[in-house]
Amino acid sequence: MTFTLVARCPKSGQMGIGIATYSIGVGLYCNGLRANVGATMTQAFVNQGNNTLALRLLAQGFAPARVLDELAANDPDFAYRQIAVIDRDGRTVAYSGPKTRGWSGHKIGDGYVAMGNVLAGPKVVDAIAQAYEVHAGESFERRLLRAIESGRDAGGQVGNDGHLTERSAGIFVYGAYDHAELDLRVDLHDKAVDELRRAFEEYELYRGYYRDRGKNPRDAVPQDVFVSGLKQHQMAAQ
Amino acid sequence: MTYSIIGRCARTGRLGLGITTFSLAVGGRCEGVAANIGVCKTQAFPNRTNDPLGIKLLAQGYLPARVMEMFAANDTEHGYRQVAIMNRDGKIAAHTGPGCRGWAGHKDDADCVAFGNGLLGPQVLDGMIEGFLARPDDALEYRLMRAIEGGRDAGGQGSADAHRPERSAAIKVVDRRDFPDVDVRVDVHPAAVAELRRVLEEFKLYEEFYRGRDTDPGKAIPQDVFAAQLKAKRASRTS
Repeated sequence: MTFTLVARCPKSGQMGIGIATYSIGVGLYCNGLRANVGATMTQAFVNQGNNTLALRLLAQGFAPARVLDELAANDPDFAYRQIAVIDRDGRTVAYSGPKTRGWSGHKIGDGYVAMGNVLAGPKVVDAIAQAYEVHAGESFERRLLRAIESGRDAGGQVGNDGHLTERSAGIFVYGAYDHAELDLRVDLHDKAVDELRRAFEEYELYRGYYRDRGKNPRDAVPQDVFVSGLKQHQMAAQ
Repeated sequence: MTYSIIGRCARTGRLGLGITTFSLAVGGRCEGVAANIGVCKTQAFPNRTNDPLGIKLLAQGYLPARVMEMFAANDTEHGYRQVAIMNRDGKIAAHTGPGCRGWAGHKDDADCVAFGNGLLGPQVLDGMIEGFLARPDDALEYRLMRAIEGGRDAGGQGSADAHRPERSAAIKVVDRRDFPDVDVRVDVHPAAVAELRRVLEEFKLYEEFYRGRDTDPGKAIPQDVFAAQLKAKRASRTS
Protein backbone atom coordinates (compact mmCIF):
# COMPACT_ATOMS: atom_id res chain seq x y z
CA MET A 1 0.00 0.00 0.00
CA THR A 2 1.71 3.05 -1.34
CA PHE A 3 1.24 5.62 -4.09
CA THR A 4 4.07 7.28 -5.84
CA LEU A 5 5.15 9.50 -8.65
CA VAL A 6 8.65 8.93 -10.02
CA ALA A 7 9.65 11.52 -12.59
CA ARG A 8 12.33 13.29 -14.53
CA CYS A 9 11.63 16.99 -15.02
CA PRO A 10 11.79 17.61 -18.77
CA LYS A 11 12.72 21.27 -18.21
CA SER A 12 15.50 20.94 -15.65
CA GLY A 13 16.57 17.30 -15.94
CA GLN A 14 16.01 16.95 -12.18
CA MET A 15 15.03 13.55 -10.84
CA GLY A 16 12.25 13.33 -8.31
CA ILE A 17 9.97 11.17 -6.21
CA GLY A 18 6.76 12.04 -4.43
CA ILE A 19 5.39 9.27 -2.23
CA ALA A 20 2.84 8.51 0.46
CA THR A 21 1.97 5.30 2.26
CA TYR A 22 0.48 3.64 5.28
CA SER A 23 3.94 2.39 6.30
CA ILE A 24 6.07 4.37 8.72
CA GLY A 25 9.13 6.27 7.56
CA VAL A 26 8.81 5.52 3.85
CA GLY A 27 11.67 7.93 3.12
CA LEU A 28 14.05 5.20 4.27
CA TYR A 29 13.34 3.38 1.01
CA CYS A 30 13.61 6.37 -1.34
CA ASN A 31 17.30 6.11 -2.18
CA GLY A 32 16.82 5.70 -5.92
CA LEU A 33 17.68 9.17 -7.18
CA ARG A 34 21.01 10.22 -8.61
CA ALA A 35 21.88 13.39 -10.46
CA ASN A 36 22.45 12.88 -14.16
CA VAL A 37 21.88 9.12 -13.84
CA GLY A 38 18.24 8.36 -13.18
CA ALA A 39 15.33 7.76 -10.87
CA THR A 40 14.09 4.43 -9.58
CA MET A 41 11.83 3.13 -6.88
CA THR A 42 10.90 -0.37 -5.71
CA GLN A 43 7.83 -0.62 -3.51
CA ALA A 44 5.03 -3.00 -2.45
CA PHE A 45 7.17 -5.79 -0.94
CA VAL A 46 10.34 -3.73 -1.16
CA ASN A 47 13.59 -5.29 -2.25
CA GLN A 48 15.93 -2.80 -0.64
CA GLY A 49 18.86 -3.80 -2.77
CA ASN A 50 17.04 -2.88 -5.98
CA ASN A 51 17.37 0.91 -5.96
CA THR A 52 21.11 1.02 -5.47
CA LEU A 53 21.66 -1.79 -7.99
CA ALA A 54 19.41 -0.15 -10.58
CA LEU A 55 21.23 3.19 -10.23
CA ARG A 56 24.59 1.50 -10.73
CA LEU A 57 23.31 -0.29 -13.82
CA LEU A 58 21.94 2.97 -15.24
CA ALA A 59 25.26 4.69 -14.49
CA GLN A 60 27.03 1.92 -16.41
CA GLY A 61 24.90 2.72 -19.42
CA PHE A 62 22.15 0.11 -19.35
CA ALA A 63 18.75 1.21 -20.65
CA PRO A 64 15.81 1.17 -18.20
CA ALA A 65 14.16 -1.83 -19.89
CA ARG A 66 17.36 -3.83 -19.52
CA VAL A 67 17.77 -2.71 -15.90
CA LEU A 68 14.29 -4.03 -15.15
CA ASP A 69 15.21 -7.36 -16.76
CA GLU A 70 18.27 -7.54 -14.54
CA LEU A 71 16.22 -6.83 -11.41
CA ALA A 72 13.89 -9.65 -12.46
CA ALA A 73 16.75 -12.08 -13.06
CA ASN A 74 18.29 -11.23 -9.69
CA ASP A 75 15.24 -11.69 -7.46
CA PRO A 76 13.33 -14.93 -6.76
CA ASP A 77 10.50 -12.81 -5.31
CA PHE A 78 10.31 -10.38 -8.22
CA ALA A 79 6.55 -10.98 -8.58
CA TYR A 80 6.04 -9.19 -5.25
CA ARG A 81 7.72 -5.96 -6.32
CA GLN A 82 6.41 -2.79 -7.91
CA ILE A 83 9.13 -0.89 -9.75
CA ALA A 84 9.74 2.26 -11.80
CA VAL A 85 12.98 3.03 -13.64
CA ILE A 86 13.69 6.26 -15.54
CA ASP A 87 16.99 7.27 -17.08
CA ARG A 88 18.44 10.72 -17.68
CA ASP A 89 16.92 10.83 -21.16
CA GLY A 90 13.48 10.26 -19.69
CA ARG A 91 13.17 6.70 -20.96
CA THR A 92 10.73 5.01 -18.64
CA VAL A 93 9.68 1.50 -17.64
CA ALA A 94 7.48 0.19 -14.85
CA TYR A 95 6.38 -3.12 -13.43
CA SER A 96 3.59 -4.09 -11.04
CA GLY A 97 4.18 -7.68 -9.96
CA PRO A 98 1.17 -10.06 -9.99
CA LYS A 99 1.67 -10.78 -6.28
CA THR A 100 1.45 -7.16 -5.15
CA ARG A 101 -1.75 -6.81 -3.14
CA GLY A 102 -5.08 -5.05 -3.60
CA TRP A 103 -5.63 -2.93 -6.66
CA SER A 104 -2.13 -2.48 -7.98
CA GLY A 105 -0.94 -0.81 -11.13
CA HIS A 106 0.97 1.95 -12.82
CA LYS A 107 0.62 4.54 -15.51
CA ILE A 108 3.54 5.59 -17.67
CA GLY A 109 3.71 9.09 -19.13
CA ASP A 110 6.35 11.29 -20.68
CA GLY A 111 9.29 10.81 -18.31
CA TYR A 112 7.21 9.73 -15.36
CA VAL A 113 5.50 6.79 -13.68
CA ALA A 114 2.48 7.01 -11.40
CA MET A 115 2.17 3.76 -9.47
CA GLY A 116 0.66 2.22 -6.41
CA ASN A 117 -0.74 -0.84 -4.69
CA VAL A 118 -3.56 -1.56 -2.25
CA LEU A 119 -5.30 1.45 -3.81
CA ALA A 120 -8.91 2.51 -4.21
CA GLY A 121 -8.51 1.73 -7.92
CA PRO A 122 -7.01 2.93 -11.18
CA LYS A 123 -8.47 6.37 -10.52
CA VAL A 124 -5.70 6.95 -7.97
CA VAL A 125 -2.81 6.55 -10.43
CA ASP A 126 -4.85 8.41 -13.08
CA ALA A 127 -5.29 11.33 -10.68
CA ILE A 128 -1.58 11.33 -9.81
CA ALA A 129 -0.59 11.43 -13.49
CA GLN A 130 -3.18 14.05 -14.36
CA ALA A 131 -2.19 16.40 -11.55
CA TYR A 132 1.46 16.12 -12.51
CA GLU A 133 0.64 17.03 -16.11
CA VAL A 134 -1.92 19.75 -15.39
CA HIS A 135 0.47 21.68 -13.14
CA ALA A 136 3.30 21.72 -15.69
CA GLY A 137 3.76 25.45 -15.09
CA GLU A 138 4.75 25.00 -11.44
CA SER A 139 8.12 24.03 -10.01
CA PHE A 140 9.06 20.35 -10.22
CA GLU A 141 8.73 19.82 -6.47
CA ARG A 142 5.31 21.46 -6.39
CA ARG A 143 4.19 19.18 -9.22
CA LEU A 144 5.33 16.14 -7.23
CA LEU A 145 3.39 17.37 -4.21
CA ARG A 146 0.28 18.12 -6.27
CA ALA A 147 0.44 14.62 -7.70
CA ILE A 148 0.51 13.00 -4.28
CA GLU A 149 -2.30 15.21 -2.99
CA SER A 150 -4.41 14.18 -5.98
CA GLY A 151 -3.73 10.52 -5.26
CA ARG A 152 -4.96 11.09 -1.74
CA ASP A 153 -8.05 12.96 -2.95
CA ALA A 154 -8.88 10.19 -5.43
CA GLY A 155 -9.24 7.72 -2.57
CA GLY A 156 -5.66 6.74 -1.85
CA GLN A 157 -5.18 3.37 -0.18
CA VAL A 158 -7.90 0.86 0.68
CA GLY A 159 -7.13 -2.17 2.87
CA ASN A 160 -9.25 -5.02 4.22
CA ASP A 161 -11.30 -2.72 6.42
CA GLY A 162 -11.63 0.25 4.13
CA HIS A 163 -9.60 3.40 3.63
CA LEU A 164 -6.07 3.45 5.01
CA THR A 165 -4.63 6.77 5.97
CA GLU A 166 -1.23 7.98 4.80
CA ARG A 167 1.11 7.68 7.80
CA SER A 168 4.31 8.74 6.05
CA ALA A 169 5.19 10.73 2.96
CA GLY A 170 8.08 12.47 1.26
CA ILE A 171 9.34 14.55 -1.66
CA PHE A 172 12.85 14.08 -3.00
CA VAL A 173 14.57 16.00 -5.79
CA TYR A 174 18.10 15.62 -7.11
CA GLY A 175 19.57 18.09 -9.58
CA ALA A 176 23.18 18.58 -10.52
CA TYR A 177 24.78 17.64 -7.21
CA ASP A 178 25.65 14.50 -5.26
CA HIS A 179 23.41 15.75 -2.49
CA ALA A 180 19.66 16.23 -2.58
CA GLU A 181 18.18 19.54 -3.65
CA LEU A 182 15.09 18.70 -1.68
CA ASP A 183 14.62 15.87 0.78
CA LEU A 184 11.59 16.47 2.92
CA ARG A 185 9.77 13.83 4.94
CA VAL A 186 6.94 13.09 7.28
CA ASP A 187 7.69 9.78 8.99
CA LEU A 188 4.76 9.23 11.36
CA HIS A 189 1.53 11.24 11.22
CA ASP A 190 -2.23 10.62 11.00
CA LYS A 191 -2.45 12.70 7.83
CA ALA A 192 1.00 12.59 6.39
CA VAL A 193 0.18 14.20 3.03
CA ASP A 194 -1.46 17.22 4.69
CA GLU A 195 1.50 17.45 7.03
CA LEU A 196 3.92 17.18 4.11
CA ARG A 197 2.24 20.16 2.46
CA ARG A 198 2.57 22.14 5.69
CA ALA A 199 6.23 21.17 6.07
CA PHE A 200 6.91 21.98 2.42
CA GLU A 201 5.42 25.47 2.57
CA GLU A 202 7.36 26.20 5.75
CA TYR A 203 10.59 24.79 4.35
CA GLU A 204 10.18 26.74 1.11
CA LEU A 205 10.56 29.95 3.14
CA TYR A 206 14.00 28.80 4.32
CA ARG A 207 15.45 26.97 1.32
CA GLY A 208 17.23 29.92 -0.25
CA TYR A 209 18.49 31.06 3.14
CA TYR A 210 19.93 27.63 3.94
CA ARG A 211 21.61 27.38 0.56
CA ASP A 212 23.18 30.84 0.68
CA ARG A 213 24.30 30.44 4.29
CA GLY A 214 26.52 27.56 3.28
CA LYS A 215 27.83 29.15 0.10
CA ASN A 216 28.48 32.57 1.53
CA PRO A 217 28.71 32.30 5.33
CA ARG A 218 30.32 35.71 5.79
CA ASP A 219 27.13 37.49 4.76
CA ALA A 220 24.65 35.15 6.47
CA VAL A 221 22.37 36.69 9.07
CA PRO A 222 21.76 34.55 12.18
CA GLN A 223 18.78 32.26 11.71
CA ASP A 224 16.78 33.79 14.55
CA VAL A 225 17.15 37.19 12.82
CA PHE A 226 15.99 35.58 9.59
CA VAL A 227 13.01 34.06 11.41
CA SER A 228 11.95 37.38 12.93
CA GLY A 229 12.25 38.94 9.48
CA LEU A 230 9.95 36.21 8.15
CA LYS A 231 7.44 36.83 10.91
CA GLN A 232 7.37 40.56 10.25
CA HIS A 233 6.97 39.90 6.56
CA GLN A 234 4.07 37.50 7.23
CA MET A 235 2.35 39.99 9.55
CA ALA A 236 2.74 42.77 7.00
CA ALA A 237 1.23 40.53 4.32
CA GLN A 238 -1.88 39.87 6.40
CA MET B 1 22.86 26.15 15.86
CA THR B 2 22.90 22.38 15.81
CA TYR B 3 24.13 19.53 17.95
CA SER B 4 25.09 16.17 16.55
CA ILE B 5 26.83 12.97 17.39
CA ILE B 6 28.65 10.52 15.18
CA GLY B 7 28.92 7.06 16.68
CA ARG B 8 30.11 3.56 16.00
CA CYS B 9 29.08 0.30 17.58
CA ALA B 10 32.32 -1.50 18.39
CA ARG B 11 30.50 -4.84 18.62
CA THR B 12 28.82 -4.77 15.21
CA GLY B 13 30.73 -2.15 13.25
CA ARG B 14 27.49 -0.27 12.58
CA LEU B 15 27.94 3.46 12.02
CA GLY B 16 25.51 6.27 12.61
CA LEU B 17 24.63 9.90 13.02
CA GLY B 18 22.21 11.59 15.40
CA ILE B 19 21.40 15.25 14.84
CA THR B 20 19.01 17.96 15.92
CA THR B 21 18.75 21.66 15.21
CA PHE B 22 16.64 24.78 14.99
CA SER B 23 16.77 24.55 11.18
CA LEU B 24 14.05 22.69 9.31
CA ALA B 25 14.49 19.25 7.75
CA VAL B 26 18.08 18.72 8.84
CA GLY B 27 17.84 15.00 8.05
CA GLY B 28 17.56 15.93 4.38
CA ARG B 29 21.11 17.27 4.52
CA CYS B 30 22.85 14.19 5.96
CA GLU B 31 24.26 12.30 2.99
CA GLY B 32 27.53 11.36 4.65
CA VAL B 33 26.64 8.07 6.31
CA ALA B 34 28.02 5.15 4.32
CA ALA B 35 28.07 1.47 5.29
CA ASN B 36 31.53 0.01 5.79
CA ILE B 37 33.13 3.35 4.88
CA GLY B 38 32.42 5.99 7.49
CA VAL B 39 30.47 9.04 8.53
CA CYS B 40 31.08 12.65 7.57
CA LYS B 41 28.93 15.56 8.66
CA THR B 42 29.44 19.25 7.93
CA GLN B 43 27.28 21.76 9.80
CA ALA B 44 27.15 25.36 11.11
CA PHE B 45 27.49 27.08 7.69
CA PRO B 46 27.53 23.81 5.79
CA ASN B 47 29.37 23.19 2.58
CA ARG B 48 26.95 20.70 1.04
CA THR B 49 29.60 19.19 -1.22
CA ASN B 50 31.84 18.24 1.73
CA ASP B 51 29.98 15.15 2.90
CA PRO B 52 29.72 13.30 -0.44
CA LEU B 53 33.37 14.23 -1.10
CA GLY B 54 34.42 13.04 2.35
CA ILE B 55 32.77 9.66 1.84
CA LYS B 56 34.52 9.23 -1.51
CA LEU B 57 37.88 10.07 0.04
CA LEU B 58 37.34 7.69 2.97
CA ALA B 59 36.35 4.98 0.49
CA GLN B 60 39.65 5.54 -1.32
CA GLY B 61 41.46 4.82 1.91
CA TYR B 62 42.24 8.28 3.26
CA LEU B 63 42.20 8.71 7.01
CA PRO B 64 39.76 11.17 8.60
CA ALA B 65 42.60 13.54 9.53
CA ARG B 66 43.77 13.71 5.93
CA VAL B 67 40.21 14.16 4.64
CA MET B 68 39.89 17.15 6.96
CA GLU B 69 43.08 18.68 5.56
CA MET B 70 41.71 18.23 2.07
CA PHE B 71 38.47 19.93 3.08
CA ALA B 72 40.50 22.87 4.39
CA ALA B 73 42.46 23.09 1.15
CA ASN B 74 39.32 22.82 -0.98
CA ASP B 75 37.15 25.47 0.69
CA THR B 76 37.84 29.16 1.12
CA GLU B 77 35.20 29.27 3.87
CA HIS B 78 36.47 26.30 5.90
CA GLY B 79 36.65 28.61 8.92
CA TYR B 80 32.85 28.78 8.97
CA ARG B 81 32.32 25.02 8.91
CA GLN B 82 31.96 22.54 11.70
CA VAL B 83 32.91 19.05 10.55
CA ALA B 84 33.23 15.62 12.14
CA ILE B 85 34.53 12.55 10.35
CA MET B 86 34.79 8.96 11.51
CA ASN B 87 35.99 6.00 9.50
CA ARG B 88 34.90 2.39 9.89
CA ASP B 89 37.72 1.71 12.36
CA GLY B 90 36.47 4.48 14.62
CA LYS B 91 39.26 6.92 13.79
CA ILE B 92 38.07 10.50 14.20
CA ALA B 93 38.77 14.01 12.98
CA ALA B 94 36.80 17.08 14.05
CA HIS B 95 36.94 20.77 13.23
CA THR B 96 35.07 23.72 14.67
CA GLY B 97 35.86 26.79 12.56
CA PRO B 98 36.39 30.11 14.35
CA GLY B 99 33.54 31.56 12.24
CA CYS B 100 30.91 29.29 13.86
CA ARG B 101 28.50 31.34 15.94
CA GLY B 102 27.57 31.16 19.59
CA TRP B 103 29.25 28.60 21.81
CA ALA B 104 30.71 25.99 19.47
CA GLY B 105 32.91 22.97 19.99
CA HIS B 106 33.47 19.26 19.70
CA LYS B 107 34.40 16.47 22.06
CA ASP B 108 35.19 12.83 21.49
CA ASP B 109 35.05 9.73 23.66
CA ALA B 110 34.88 5.98 23.08
CA ASP B 111 33.45 5.39 19.58
CA CYS B 112 31.83 8.81 19.34
CA VAL B 113 32.33 12.48 18.65
CA ALA B 114 29.79 15.10 19.75
CA PHE B 115 29.84 18.51 18.09
CA GLY B 116 27.64 21.55 18.03
CA ASN B 117 27.34 25.29 17.63
CA GLY B 118 24.99 27.98 18.91
CA LEU B 119 24.82 25.96 22.13
CA LEU B 120 24.25 26.89 25.74
CA GLY B 121 27.78 25.67 26.50
CA PRO B 122 30.14 22.69 26.75
CA GLN B 123 27.70 20.95 29.09
CA VAL B 124 25.57 20.14 26.02
CA LEU B 125 28.37 18.05 24.53
CA ASP B 126 28.97 16.44 27.94
CA GLY B 127 25.28 15.54 28.13
CA MET B 128 25.41 13.98 24.68
CA ILE B 129 28.44 11.87 25.43
CA GLU B 130 27.01 10.78 28.74
CA GLY B 131 23.85 9.70 26.92
CA PHE B 132 25.83 7.83 24.30
CA LEU B 133 27.96 5.97 26.83
CA ALA B 134 25.14 5.19 29.27
CA ARG B 135 24.14 1.86 27.75
CA PRO B 136 26.93 0.59 25.52
CA ASP B 137 25.16 -2.71 24.83
CA ASP B 138 22.09 -1.07 23.29
CA ALA B 139 21.60 -0.88 19.54
CA LEU B 140 23.41 2.12 18.08
CA GLU B 141 20.17 3.94 17.16
CA TYR B 142 19.14 3.97 20.82
CA ARG B 143 22.56 5.19 21.92
CA LEU B 144 22.38 8.03 19.39
CA MET B 145 18.84 8.84 20.52
CA ARG B 146 19.91 8.95 24.16
CA ALA B 147 22.82 11.20 23.19
CA ILE B 148 20.53 13.73 21.51
CA GLU B 149 18.19 13.65 24.48
CA GLY B 150 21.20 14.16 26.76
CA GLY B 151 22.16 17.26 24.77
CA ARG B 152 18.64 18.62 24.90
CA ASP B 153 18.37 18.00 28.65
CA ALA B 154 21.70 19.77 29.21
CA GLY B 155 20.24 22.95 27.69
CA GLY B 156 20.58 22.47 23.94
CA GLN B 157 20.73 25.55 21.74
CA GLY B 158 20.71 29.25 22.44
CA SER B 159 21.93 31.24 25.40
CA ALA B 160 20.88 31.52 29.04
CA ASP B 161 18.29 34.19 28.14
CA ALA B 162 17.22 32.92 24.72
CA HIS B 163 16.71 29.16 24.35
CA ARG B 164 16.19 27.90 20.80
CA PRO B 165 13.92 24.90 20.34
CA GLU B 166 14.82 21.85 18.27
CA ARG B 167 12.64 22.03 15.15
CA SER B 168 14.06 19.06 13.25
CA ALA B 169 15.99 15.92 14.13
CA ALA B 170 17.18 12.67 12.59
CA ILE B 171 18.95 9.40 13.23
CA LYS B 172 20.62 7.39 10.51
CA VAL B 173 22.35 4.04 11.07
CA VAL B 174 24.08 1.87 8.47
CA ASP B 175 25.26 -1.69 8.80
CA ARG B 176 26.82 -3.63 5.94
CA ARG B 177 24.28 -3.04 3.20
CA ASP B 178 24.36 0.05 1.02
CA PHE B 179 21.07 1.39 2.33
CA PRO B 180 20.43 2.43 5.92
CA ASP B 181 19.18 0.08 8.61
CA VAL B 182 17.49 2.92 10.45
CA ASP B 183 16.63 6.31 9.02
CA VAL B 184 14.07 8.22 11.08
CA ARG B 185 13.26 11.88 10.72
CA VAL B 186 11.29 14.77 12.11
CA ASP B 187 11.41 17.72 9.72
CA VAL B 188 9.14 20.45 11.12
CA HIS B 189 8.05 20.18 14.76
CA PRO B 190 8.13 22.42 17.86
CA ALA B 191 9.68 19.65 20.02
CA ALA B 192 11.55 17.61 17.45
CA VAL B 193 13.64 15.49 19.83
CA ALA B 194 10.64 14.18 21.76
CA GLU B 195 8.88 13.55 18.46
CA LEU B 196 11.92 11.70 17.10
CA ARG B 197 11.83 9.38 20.13
CA ARG B 198 8.17 8.68 19.34
CA VAL B 199 8.93 7.94 15.67
CA LEU B 200 11.91 5.72 16.55
CA GLU B 201 9.95 3.65 19.07
CA GLU B 202 7.10 3.19 16.60
CA PHE B 203 9.50 2.31 13.78
CA LYS B 204 11.23 -0.31 15.91
CA LEU B 205 7.90 -2.12 16.33
CA TYR B 206 7.65 -2.43 12.54
CA GLU B 207 11.32 -2.93 11.68
CA GLU B 208 11.33 -6.73 11.53
CA PHE B 209 7.97 -6.82 9.77
CA TYR B 210 9.28 -4.49 7.07
CA ARG B 211 12.46 -6.51 6.67
CA GLY B 212 10.52 -9.74 6.37
CA ARG B 213 8.32 -8.27 3.68
CA ASP B 214 11.48 -7.67 1.67
CA THR B 215 13.27 -10.97 2.23
CA ASP B 216 10.30 -13.33 2.37
CA PRO B 217 7.24 -11.61 0.88
CA GLY B 218 5.35 -14.87 0.44
CA LYS B 219 4.95 -15.10 4.21
CA ALA B 220 4.15 -11.45 4.90
CA ILE B 221 0.77 -10.65 6.39
CA PRO B 222 -0.96 -7.43 5.23
CA GLN B 223 0.23 -4.39 7.14
CA ASP B 224 -3.23 -3.42 8.39
CA VAL B 225 -3.47 -6.89 9.96
CA PHE B 226 -0.03 -6.44 11.52
CA ALA B 227 -1.04 -2.99 12.83
CA ALA B 228 -4.22 -4.45 14.35
CA GLN B 229 -2.15 -7.14 16.12
CA LEU B 230 0.15 -4.45 17.52
CA LYS B 231 -2.84 -2.51 18.77
CA ALA B 232 -4.31 -5.59 20.45
CA LYS B 233 -0.95 -6.31 22.14
CA ARG B 234 -0.81 -2.75 23.44
CA ALA B 235 -4.38 -2.93 24.74
CA SER B 236 -3.71 -6.20 26.59
CA ARG B 237 -0.58 -4.67 28.14
CA THR B 238 -2.37 -1.58 29.45
CA SER B 239 -5.45 -3.39 30.73
